[in-house]
Amino acid sequence: MSTDEPDENRRARAVRLLSGPRSRLGITVGPSAAWILTLLVAPLAFMVAVSFFEVSSLTYQIIYEPTLNNYRSLFDGGGAIWQTPFVTALWLSYVIATVTTVLCLALAFPLAYLLARNGGRLFKVVIFFVLLPFFTMYLVRAYSWVLMFGPGGVINSTLMSWGLIDAPLGIFNYGVPAIIVGLTHAYFPYMLLTLYASLDGLDFSIIEAARDLGASRVEVFRDHVIPLTLPGIIGGSLFVFVPSVGAFITPTFLGQGKVQMIGMLIENRVAGTYSIGYASAASMFVLVSIIGAMILAFRYVSIEELGGA
Amino acid sequence: MATESSEPAESSDRLLGHQRVEQLLSTSLYVVSGLLLLFLWVPLAIIILLAFAENPVTIFPFEGFTLDNFRLALDSESMRSSLTGSFTIATVAASIATVLGVLASFALTRYRFRLREVYRTFGIIPMVIPGIILGVALRIYFQNLLGILPGFTTVVLAHSLYGLPFVLLIVSARLYTFDESLEEAARDLGADPITVFRDVTLPVIAPAVGAGFLFAWIRSFEDYIRALFLTGPNTDVLTIWMFSRIRQLDAPELNAVSALIVFGVAIALAIAMNVGNVTGYVAGTVTEEE
Repeated sequence: MSTDEPDENRRARAVRLLSGPRSRLGITVGPSAAWILTLLVAPLAFMVAVSFFEVSSLTYQIIYEPTLNNYRSLFDGGGAIWQTPFVTALWLSYVIATVTTVLCLALAFPLAYLLARNGGRLFKVVIFFVLLPFFTMYLVRAYSWVLMFGPGGVINSTLMSWGLIDAPLGIFNYGVPAIIVGLTHAYFPYMLLTLYASLDGLDFSIIEAARDLGASRVEVFRDHVIPLTLPGIIGGSLFVFVPSVGAFITPTFLGQGKVQMIGMLIENRVAGTYSIGYASAASMFVLVSIIGAMILAFRYVSIEELGGA
Repeated sequence: MATESSEPAESSDRLLGHQRVEQLLSTSLYVVSGLLLLFLWVPLAIIILLAFAENPVTIFPFEGFTLDNFRLALDSESMRSSLTGSFTIATVAASIATVLGVLASFALTRYRFRLREVYRTFGIIPMVIPGIILGVALRIYFQNLLGILPGFTTVVLAHSLYGLPFVLLIVSARLYTFDESLEEAARDLGADPITVFRDVTLPVIAPAVGAGFLFAWIRSFEDYIRALFLTGPNTDVLTIWMFSRIRQLDAPELNAVSALIVFGVAIALAIAMNVGNVTGYVAGTVTEEE
């Protein structure tokens, strides 16, 4: 069997090492567990700690004395609580992420359904055209919408040159609508692929049987299609909602300074003044809300079923 | 179709006729899907068009075709060095992620151990945690706790963690459907564990490992926000180069680089789809018959 005779000794030792169940477990679990502990768990734990410490604005050193000042500063802007940059940004992020998720779900379902019911050539071509934007750099896709929107952007200038409008329309200027379009474009493929994965496993004869037995289309959809594809719906929504809440690139370019989402606020505080205490405290709110959304989702689906994208 | 909800199916059938409803529904399904593809595609098509246009910012007025934008982009020293930087970072990070992810997939599919579910969950978190939070957390951790200044190593470490879930999900999905009796047969015939892995297991999971590597590579290559916090002044990254140009609306070079990226991805994807089951890996529907 073995072709490398000179290595026989080393090989025998390696084989002996690989034979024990304990060492096998250590070799397979060990490296990634070390990575997760040192690069995910420890940094997040440190971030939690930093959110409770003061950071010197002169030396950027952490002063290790517990304080709630960082959290206080999130809600302290002189005016009402809901007018502080943090609360406005967080609220706006949730609104934008929710609208984006609903939009993605509504748009992706018909296409995913069509793809799941029709195999063959058409399927391959369509999936190619869906996957291509999916694999294309996120930044390129965000940039493409920078060109589309704006007072002199492609949409406005095209409509004007066709004589449909006389002056640039406000809705095609940069702002919240542009951000929602950009995020929908960015995360739509996640929704589509997750939905497709769960619709693909659907037994369509159930639908025919229900129809034959006299159920209306809406009834079939409500009583059979939705419950059977619920893992896909929830998984896809999570894949759209979570990154939309923390989005940075899209709101930066398509808001053009008029809109501040939570990701931009955190970036701004760290890149600008290195206010890591403030940023850590703000991140905690985002993290906790995301964990909450996931716990809610895991009541309906397992993490394995979410593995779609 | 909202009117149908309250009434039984027969009444609506009488109203329109079963055949017509069916036809109308399927037509509208195709129309919606077509519009969607248009939505996905128009912005990218416009970038490609503008990359060849004399007037790089908007379509009207159209002033003719040129290749100057591409020449400008490819001649740019900063573009080339950041492209090389991104390639290096993505390749090193994806390689680490692949090794860790393949090992972890074996552990998850083959062995039972304590905290297995926790381990699996934490193995997937790097993919779902917002990039801004992971980026900032790692930056603070490296700089303030460990005293490591951001640079090549820190961004590679961050990206290798970020790529891990993609490899883990794709490879473990493949291993779940792997017929272990094949390995048993090889062992019964006298093969040692290394030979079994090399001659039996690896050939079967190789496409999944390749797909996982590709995913981790792309994720690293296109990442901006983690790289922003974890690269130093001496590490050039393409996304950071592009970001600053988008901010200045420096369109000529950007359009050309963007168009080249779309072409590159299109060719790679077309090849990958003809070689392996890309959709299966992406949509998580990999099955035994490929």
